[in-house]
Formats: sequence, structure tokens, C-alpha cells
Amino acid sequence: MKRTALIFLLASTARPDTQLLSLRTLPAEASLQGARATQQFLALAKYADGTERDVTAEVEWRLSRPALAKLISTGRLGPIADGALTLTATLQGKQGRSEVRIAGAASARAATFTREISGILTKRGCNTSVCHGGVKGQGGFKLSANALYPADDYQWITQGGVYQVLSAEVKGTPVPRIDLKNPEQSALVRKPTMATPHGGGKRFDLDSDDYRIMLDWIRHGAPFRDETGAPEPKLTRLELFPSTVVMTAAAEHRLLVTAHFSDGHKEDYTHESLYTVNDGEVATAAAGGVVRARRRGETSILVRAAGQVASIVVGVVGPPVPNYPELKRTNFIDDRVFEKLRQFRIVPSALSGDSEFLRRVCLDLTGTLPPPQRVREFLASSDPRKRERVIDALIASPEFTDYWSFRFAEIFRVAIFVNGLSPKWSQEYGEWIRSNIESNRPYDEVARERISAQGYSPATRHFLPYALIGAPSDVMAEEVRVFMGRRLDCAQCHNHPYENWSQDQFWGMAAFFSRMFRMGSIVMDHPANMDLGSKDVGGKIELLHPRTKVPVQPALLDRSTLNLGPADNPRKELARWMTSHPYFAEAAVNRIWGHFFARGIVEPVDDFRSTNPPSNPALLGALAEDFRAHGFNLRQLMKTIVSSRTYQLTQAPNDTNRDDVVNYSHSLPRGLDAEVLLDAVADATGIPETFTTAVSDGAAVGEAPRGTRAIQLRNPDTFFSRFLELYGRSNRGAVPERNTKPNLGQALHVLAGSSYVERLAAPDGRLARLIKDGASDEKIFEEFYLAALGRLPEADELRELKQVLSQRADRQAGLREFVWAMTTSREFVENH
Amino acid sequence: MYSRWFLILGLACLPAMAQVRVDPKILSIHPFAGQRGANFTATVRGSGLSGATSVVAATAPMEITVEATQPEPPEAPGGRGKAAINLVTLRVKIRDDAQTGRYPIRLITGGGLSNALSIHVVDLPVSPEPAGAHDLPDSAIAVTFFPVAFAGRLARRGEADFYAFHGEAGQTVTFEVISGLPQIASGGSAATIANFDPALSLYESGASWFDPQRLKRIAYNDEPMWVMGSPTDAHLVHRFAKSGDYLLRIEAFAGQGGPDYSYQLKIAPGTVPPDTAAPAVAGWDERIYTRRLDADRLNQLAARGGKPTTAKSIETYRAATEPASFKLPGTIEGALALPGETHRARFHLDAPGDLAIEIETPGAAPPFFNPIVRLLNAAGEEVATNVFVGRGACSGAMTKSLQAKTVVPLREIGEYTVEIREAASDLTSSQFRYRVQVRPQVPHVGRVRIDTDVVNLTPGEAKAIRVVFDREEDYRGALSIAVDSLPPGVSASVGADYEPDSDPPSTQGKRERYTPRTEHAVIILSADPGAPLLALPHEARVVTRPLVDGKLGAELMTKMLPVMMVVKKP
Repeated sequence: MKRTALIFLLASTARPDTQLLSLRTLPAEASLQGARATQQFLALAKYADGTERDVTAEVEWRLSRPALAKLISTGRLGPIADGALTLTATLQGKQGRSEVRIAGAASARAATFTREISGILTKRGCNTSVCHGGVKGQGGFKLSANALYPADDYQWITQGGVYQVLSAEVKGTPVPRIDLKNPEQSALVRKPTMATPHGGGKRFDLDSDDYRIMLDWIRHGAPFRDETGAPEPKLTRLELFPSTVVMTAAAEHRLLVTAHFSDGHKEDYTHESLYTVNDGEVATAAAGGVVRARRRGETSILVRAAGQVASIVVGVVGPPVPNYPELKRTNFIDDRVFEKLRQFRIVPSALSGDSEFLRRVCLDLTGTLPPPQRVREFLASSDPRKRERVIDALIASPEFTDYWSFRFAEIFRVAIFVNGLSPKWSQEYGEWIRSNIESNRPYDEVARERISAQGYSPATRHFLPYALIGAPSDVMAEEVRVFMGRRLDCAQCHNHPYENWSQDQFWGMAAFFSRMFRMGSIVMDHPANMDLGSKDVGGKIELLHPRTKVPVQPALLDRSTLNLGPADNPRKELARWMTSHPYFAEAAVNRIWGHFFARGIVEPVDDFRSTNPPSNPALLGALAEDFRAHGFNLRQLMKTIVSSRTYQLTQAPNDTNRDDVVNYSHSLPRGLDAEVLLDAVADATGIPETFTTAVSDGAAVGEAPRGTRAIQLRNPDTFFSRFLELYGRSNRGAVPERNTKPNLGQALHVLAGSSYVERLAAPDGRLARLIKDGASDEKIFEEFYLAALGRLPEADELRELKQVLSQRADRQAGLREFVWAMTTSREFVENH
Repeated sequence: MYSRWFLILGLACLPAMAQVRVDPKILSIHPFAGQRGANFTATVRGSGLSGATSVVAATAPMEITVEATQPEPPEAPGGRGKAAINLVTLRVKIRDDAQTGRYPIRLITGGGLSNALSIHVVDLPVSPEPAGAHDLPDSAIAVTFFPVAFAGRLARRGEADFYAFHGEAGQTVTFEVISGLPQIASGGSAATIANFDPALSLYESGASWFDPQRLKRIAYNDEPMWVMGSPTDAHLVHRFAKSGDYLLRIEAFAGQGGPDYSYQLKIAPGTVPPDTAAPAVAGWDERIYTRRLDADRLNQLAARGGKPTTAKSIETYRAATEPASFKLPGTIEGALALPGETHRARFHLDAPGDLAIEIETPGAAPPFFNPIVRLLNAAGEEVATNVFVGRGACSGAMTKSLQAKTVVPLREIGEYTVEIREAASDLTSSQFRYRVQVRPQVPHVGRVRIDTDVVNLTPGEAKAIRVVFDREEDYRGALSIAVDSLPPGVSASVGADYEPDSDPPSTQGKRERYTPRTEHAVIILSADPGAPLLALPHEARVVTRPLVDGKLGAELMTKMLPVMMVVKKP
């Protein structure tokens, strides 16, 4: 995958105090082909403080040969006659130059649907998902989202008819949207100009270029492509400049959009694109790519044109940070994170204290609280490499295996209903995951085995939800979500409304799973050259496109096909392709990163979209590269992450990063997951949980062995737990998402639930043992602070606790209340 | 007012309810294993066992006497049902020269003869589990020598038993846990039913950063790939990489436990194969992949159809990737050594005929080796296969299953090709060996089954015994069922009973090509009102034979059925 280099630009309303060093114009060279071609130029000024700002509107633009071209608007050049000229921008005595070559200025090529009309429909927002690009279109008029399918669009416009989701047949009486005999009466031009009432409002004026182009196109017979009939080059990629814009409030910055075509040529599409801002409170983007900052924050701008979408990140920053500190760095993660923070004028928080670090890294790597003795040792140690050593110890611990087996059992959906309705199969699948984690098997190998598993192996069991082979569409969507971080599901029924995934691509990928069949207990791939059924029971081994009803052949996301033999396992080739695709490493590192930072570089972690760009593409790319370079080694990846200074920053914010939640400038507190929280309550109180197998409360059949932790449960869905339900353990029956919202049930459980009440009253817990040993109040307070919070109490906390306890007539009752308060406190239930 | 009537009605019903006799049922025996020559006490737990007087252990090389019977105290933990539970104390003396194995025993009680559970004779010293809990490493049971066996019990839900031992570097040790409860064949609902599927885990002291006592699991066994219907006992062979102290933990698959959860643990040096129970019924079963397809198959089948056995022997041919030729009847054999490999063999059909295709897999059977066998005509069209295709009755979804036998009528003479391949194209193994026999159909009686295990009768009482049998390859003859050696006052007569209808699948496919026609017959055993009571069970004999062309054929299956005459109210 080609990635645009990360380039930062800073725009400001006020002219900076520092000296202008140089001026440059972009693009440095441009070629205008044909009478319709235009080129937007930018002028960028470089100042002594190292910043570069957009001064396009401030410079004086001059043409060396005014007879050849004209400036249509600020920095935008249009052709007059063929030839070469120089465009010069001047500011404060500095100059920037671009060389321009013009050809075919006299040839006013007729507009075609595939180029101009599709472009206008995109630029004017007609084919967005909220308008005619929606699944069923609007007002009986359907367009493909973002002009992804021009031929379909052409049919709807020139012939009419109502689109149907589940059939390629045209519904209703076809009513064309154009009138070749009376072009001005065409709905296509009357609606967007509001000559006829239009639910979408006015999209352009009667005197606009777009109106003229559309009208001319109809007058010339509304051709689909140019008169030669040759297929027109397809727009393959949008290149944006810059890829990241950093602006101060109220500043303005222009974007430059370059369209790359399948024949290798490129054109300026700055004025042919539609700009959409994700967070309009932070910045706005007008036609022509003019971005205006509004308030401090970060957002992305989506740029759409002719079936392609690209995005840039826009940061609106505060005032410059005087004496921006030199930051210590541990590894490349810090380089990438701190580089962006500096550009965004955010100073990262300080390094976390030892207590904060130890509790965080223990919970993140093992889901387990550090025991009091270990906390004391760690705090007392003067070893400068003690953090490194503890990281190594944690990664090598059996608790690490427990925890990451649990984590991946969730991601990979180990659950009875998902694994053939069989606890034995579900357990075997879970054991397969555990053995992979325990042996630190390369993640790409794990993925390949899971995607392509055949026969009766443990990995095949995940293909059997409700004891049947899952639908190819569901199975494929899950594998792509898990291993490539993309959610293709929307494209199942229609082209993806927010993304470039088409329905054809979806079913092409699904076809890799379409020959899977359950025979007896095994999973097999039915040979392509045999009927699925028999002479007695009909059934064909083919996957039909739900809309066109045409058999679908396996095709990768890039639409390429594979040379598969009829008896080959197609998933094997797919698995090879998936794990060698850049998406694979990116999705994996993002998922792991998201675990350690409470937020993925792409968030949600399995929702990569061009419309949901990474908050730090350079960081994502570097992590993915490192992951690949280390042979997809998950433990190595985790070690790299938790060893970084970025991970070890304190949660305490400073004035510059208080509002930052996307740049990892400080640690973000996050609630413990249900299982980890329950284990933490058990650890802190010293009373293990009892887990019983049952379908409902009180109907126990079996019981997990004494001391089993929630994260160790095999087949956890067979264990009923009111606590885990209340605190939102994930439903592995579907996409395993957790309900992390607080609820009334939790509040009641905290007050009266068995998880707390019975533990406080238990005769053999940590509190009971301390009391029995004659421990002082201070000792008890300290022990619980260490056990629950991983730190010693502050002096004022200790003083206050002693005072509160002294007011209680019943010491033990007072201490129980203290333990209750500790285990229900926000500091306890969060990792920070 | 109404309540008084209900009370009267209830009291009136009491005598009738009290007279309902419950057949004695053994739930468990603990311990259930002993070394040859051993003399030990075992406790039988069950219902309807009060008044147990003696033990029937027909072929068991042991003397077993009943020492005591008593009701289980109501406060006893566990329990599997609401019925009153009895405890019977047995004295077991195993002969010095006893062969190792599993020996079924039954109790004779006032209510009749019980079901059978086995006592295992082993060639290892059997130590009883010491009293107390052993569910923590600190309270582990010390194992000081191998080989050894332990008789343990997971006495309550969630209980796990730890055993501690020393292992030497390079030493290979076999661990096996055998459940004392009958295995539930489906096993699939183990999480929600009271089954005892033992699991074992091997630990070393790992001393994690968190916990110096933390154990590190180094091996685990709960059937690495469990197969429906196969035993669920745990068997693990482990080679220790280093010398040290190790722990073994035994638990039930889904944490079940209770007084019946008795187990036998065997620890032995070296690699010891699993100690599996012999098949419950060692009879004719022609639809399993492991039966031998002999050269004499035609004669074997003819005998089960009541016909003379004069057919020539069936020749065996090698099959490979390059098609080989063979003559009917013939057996082709080969091994699929490469992933996706397909073997073919051709034959010429000289005259229309009904063929049977049988598949034997001596090395591995489905789901590990899944041979798809197809019969193709000269045009390459599939005319028969061992893949049974149908549609489920509930979902209508297409279902497929592999069968070890299929039959097909061939009406067109000419060349045919038998094609064999593994269903999963990526898989291969040295055990992917097959033998496919193609032969003319021979109508015969297939499997015959009588599930009844024991018959307890009171004077005047009658009970039905169901005989289930398969008609294979269009066998149209009758089946003779005779019962002899009945006890005095008991007679047998032919009966019929209710067969509930079931909705057929929406599309069955040609089921008759893949499954036999299964029928059942009913024999009624009735006791005269004056039939004398029996102190010991009387073994009746049930014999089945084919009946063809007015002649009885050879015996197909003979079952010895213990019959007891008991008083109505134990």
C-alpha cells in the first residue's frame, strides 16, 4: 500500500514574528491538457521558527506569458493557448515559481458521463450516502455512492427506473432524468438548481460551470464516454497535500488534490472534489479545498471524487509552547508520538511514578493486580532497569498466558454456541488458542491456520455456529474484521455507504468461503467441479450475487483472482494473501495498541476506513513494520509498546494535553473489564470467586476448581455469573463487544451484591487474616492500598482514614467499610 | 372442605404408590479397581438396593460378598436424584491369577437383579485416596513410586485432586484417569448434565512473579480431539524435560462432582496404551469403518441371509493415482499419502446388477480420515457415492455425512471408475489407508440389538423386550426370535408395541442407499401369578435366526438375559 508521506504544515491568521526565509509554490510543475483543465497552486512560506504556512491568498501571483493562461481565482490557473510559462508568487521579496505546460487549449472536448458528470454528482454531494447514494437512493432516484458504479448511474439517469436492493431488475416505470429534446427541462439540471422543488436543496446555480457542463452534455446526446468509444482511464487514487494540517484557531489553509488515473496521467482535482469534515466544530472545509480552523482540537477531512476517498488529519492547535522540552525517548514509538505532539503544540505528561507504572503494566499485560509484596519491592528498588526487568518477568509469566488466552478467546469467539454447540469442541478451540499464546506462535501462522482450517482440527470449530457452517458472508466478514480490521458487512447488501468497498468486492471475498461444508463433524471445501447435492437432493456449489443472481468467483479485495484448482482449499490462498497484505500487520498492531492505550490509532480497532483515518499514520506504519520485521511476534510487539516512554507517561495531564484523547500525550484511565475487575476484587479481598456451570442462577451442575480466576474459565459462557453479566462481559455469540456503560444493576450490586457483601463478611479473607494477626489500623490501610491500588496511602489519606475509623464504635465494621470503599473506588475499578 | 377430600384421596392412593416397585440400580462403585490378589472393601451407591444379599459376577475372577446395607444419611452431600439412596458395603477378594480387565457385577436385592457396573482388575497396586481434601498443591497426595494406581473420588462439585510426584529428566510417564461412571456417548452437553468426563493436567512449580506458589501447566489432556461417542477418559503420555517435582491435577470436565464421581488413576513409566472398555456388544456391525472386509465377505453375508455359502473369495487389488483395473467382486486398497491425492480403479460391468460398495479404514476412521468414495460411469458422471446428502427436518439445511457402505443399482453395462480421496484436501497421514470392496448385493440381516439388560418380574407381571434388527441389501426374509431356558412359571410370547411417528426430513435423499431398513420385534415375558420366586437370576437365552425359503438359517445373535422372580414389594 502506498502511503502519502506525513507532511505537517502550520497555518496561522497572524503573520508570524519570525523572519520569512523562503517561498515555494506547489506543484512545482504542472501540465494542463485541454480547454477544461485547471490547476490550483499553493504558495507556502517557510519561516525562521521552522514552520511552513499556507500564504496562497497573500502572495502576488504573476504569469510570465499572460497570453497563454489566466488566473481564474486565487492561485488557480486556466488555459488560453498552448505553450509553456512560469507562474511566480511573491511575498516580502521572496519568490516561488512553478513551471506550467499547456496543450490542447483549443480543444473543447465534449463532456462525458464517466468524467465530468460523475465528477459533478460527487462534488455536489448528490451521490453521498445521505442523498441519492443511499442504499435505496432518494425520491426514486438512485446513484451509486461516490460514483463507484458509473454504468449503473448512467442507466438510472438516462433510462430511469427505481433501484432494488435485492434484484438488478428495474422497478416501476422507467422515467429518464434527462430530456434530450428539451435539455433545459431535464430533471438532472432542474432539480439541483431548484427550478423544480428538490428535497436536497440547491446544489448549484444556473450560471455555474457545473450547470453549463451538464446542459452541454445533455445537448450533445448525453454520451457515457467520449466519441471514440474507448474506455476512459479510471481514477485510481487521490493524492492529498498536505496529509496533515496543523492550524491555529481561525487560520485558513488550502488543500491540493491530485487525481491519479489508470493510464498514468494525473490531474488537479482540487475543485472537482467534495470535502467533508468529521468534526465541524474543529474546522470547516469549503469547495476548492479551503480549510478554516474554528477551535482547538483534531479532526479529519474526507475528500471524495469519482469513486475514490482520501482523508487528511487537521489539528487546530493552541499558542506556541515556550521552551518546548526536549523529550527522552525509549524507542521508535516515542519518535512518532512525540513528533506529532510537538507539531500539535502538546507537551506529553511526565513519566509515571513507579506505583502507577507497576499497576498499569501488570493489569495490561496479565490482567492481574500486583501483589503487595511485589509493590513494596518495586518501590524500594533502585535498579535503573527495574521497569525493563518487570516487563520481562510479566511477559514470561503464566498469568500472561492466561490473560492473553482469554483476550484472544474473546476476539476469536470461543463460545459453545459459536463452536458447534459443543463444550468439548469449544474447549478444544480454546486450548488451541492457549497453546498458540503459550508458545508465542507467530501471529500470521495463527491467522493462516484459523482462516484455512479443514477437517476436524480445533481451529475448524469456529466455523460451526449453531453446529452449522456459517454463511460465507458472515464468515468472511468476521475473518476480515479480525485479521484486517475492516468491517465489510455493509457491503453485503449494497455498496458500502462510507467506504470504497463494493457489493461485488464483498461477495468476491465471501466466495472464498462458499465451498465450505460440514460433513459429519468435519469442515471441508467442496470441490468446485462437483455438485453440492446429489441426484436425489438438489444443490449447486456456487455462490450467487444477491442482486444480480450471477455466480460469484473468489476475488480478493483488490479484485484480483487466483488460479485455483477445483479441489484446492481456496481459503489457504486467501489466508496467504491476507497475512501478507499490509492491512494484516496494521490491524494486529492497532488492536494490541488499543488494548494498552484504551484507544486504537484507528478507533474502533477493527474499523479501518478511509473515512476513519489513523490518528497517527506514521506510528501505525512504524509499528506494523516492526511487527513484520520481528516475524509477527506478539510478545515482542507488546514489549516494545510497554517499554516506550509513551506508554509509561503518567495519567496526570498538563495544560497543553488536558483535552487530548487521541495523541497518547498522557495515560487515559479506563475501566477494568468485567473479568479483570472480578479477579481484582477477589485478589484485593483475598477471597476467590466460585464459578458454577449453570444456565441460570441457582441451577448449578458443575463448579470450576477452587481458585479459578475469571480470566481462566474454560467455556466461560457455561458459567453463570451475575457480576460478569452486570459488568458487561462480551457476548461472544456476535461481534465480541463489551457493554462498558455503567448501569443501575452495578450500583445495586456494589451495595448489596454477593461479590462484595459476602467477601466483606468472609472469615478467611485478607482483612480477617490481618485482624487475626493483630495488625494495626495503619498496617491494614497500607496492605489494602498496596493490594487494591498498588501504592501506599498518602499521609493525608492515612490521617483521614484513621480519623474516620476512630469515630466508629465497631472497629471491624469500620474496616469492612474501608475495604468496601477501596474496592468500589474509581481508582480501583480503573486502570490508569 | 376441599382440602379434606384431597387428603382422603391422597391417603387412598398411598398403598398403590407404595407398591410401585423400583428396579434396583447401581449408580456407582467406589473404589472400583483393585490389584489382582487384593482384598478390599467397596461401597456400592444406588437406589432400590436395600436388602441386597449377594453379588452376581458371572465371569469375574473374584469373590464378592455383601457386608452391609444401609440408607445413605440424608445429610450426605451430593446425590444425583430424589430417589432414596442405599449404600451397600462389599468385600472384594480378587484372585491372584485374575486376568486384568473390567468385570461387570450385579447386586441381588429384594427388588431383583440390578444393572451392571464393572470392577476393574489391574496389575498395579491400588492405593485409596487418603481422607481429606486434596484440591490444593499443599494437600496433594504423594506418589512415591511408579507404576501405581489410585482409587479416588471427586466428592463434591468443583473438587480437584492433586497428586505430587518426582519426575526424572528424559523420563516418559503415562497418566490415565478412568471414570467409574458409564460414559455418556453424546458428551456434548457435559457442561449441563451430570456426566463424569475426567480431565488431567500436569504442572510444575513455576513460581511466577505474582505468586511463588503458582503452578505452571506443562501438559493437559481432555481428549485433544474429542469424537462423539468415543470414551472421554483422560490419557496423557508425557516426557519430562527436566528432573523435578511435579503435580497432577484431576478434575471433571465441567467441574462436576459428587459421591458417584469415582475414578481410577494410573501412573506408569513408559508409554502405555489407553485402557479402554471392550465394546458393549461385540456383535456384527457392518456399518463401522473398522470392520474387516474379508475375501470371504460374500459367504459371511450369505450366511446372514439364510443362503448357502458357496461364493468364491474376493480378490484384492492395489489402487493408486493412475487408474488400476479390477474385476467384480473386488477389493481395492491403498493409502492416500499426499494432500489432495485421488486414487482411481476401473471395472467393467458385464451385466446389470445391484452393487454394494463398502469402505474399511484400518488406520483411522472419520472424522480423522474421511474417505469420499465415488462411482463414476464411463462419461465421468457420478452414479454412486458414500456421501449421504439430505436436508434437515428442522432447518431444511443440506446435511452431508460419510457412510461406510452404500448400495446402488447399476442398469447400464460398461466401464465404471471407483474414485477415492480424502474430504479435506489439505490433510494427509500415514494412517489414511483404505479398503473399498465392490461386490454384488447379498440380502441379509444386519445388526441385531437387544438393549434390555436384565428382567425383574413379580408374579403375574409381564415385560416387553424389544429386538431391533436391520434389513440389509433388500433382505425380505423373516427373522426368527426364540427365547429358551426361561425360569419356571415364565413364558415368552410375540408382541407388538407402539412406534411413534416422526416427521420425515423435507428431502430425505435416497436414504435406503445409505442406511439399512431398521425394524423391531417385541417379545413379551410374562410371569404366572404362581410363578416361584428366585433367589438367584436365571439366564434366559434369546436366539435370532434368518428365515428364508421356509428354512431357518444359522444363529445371528444370541443374548443371555438374566431373569429374576421377586416379590412385589421389596
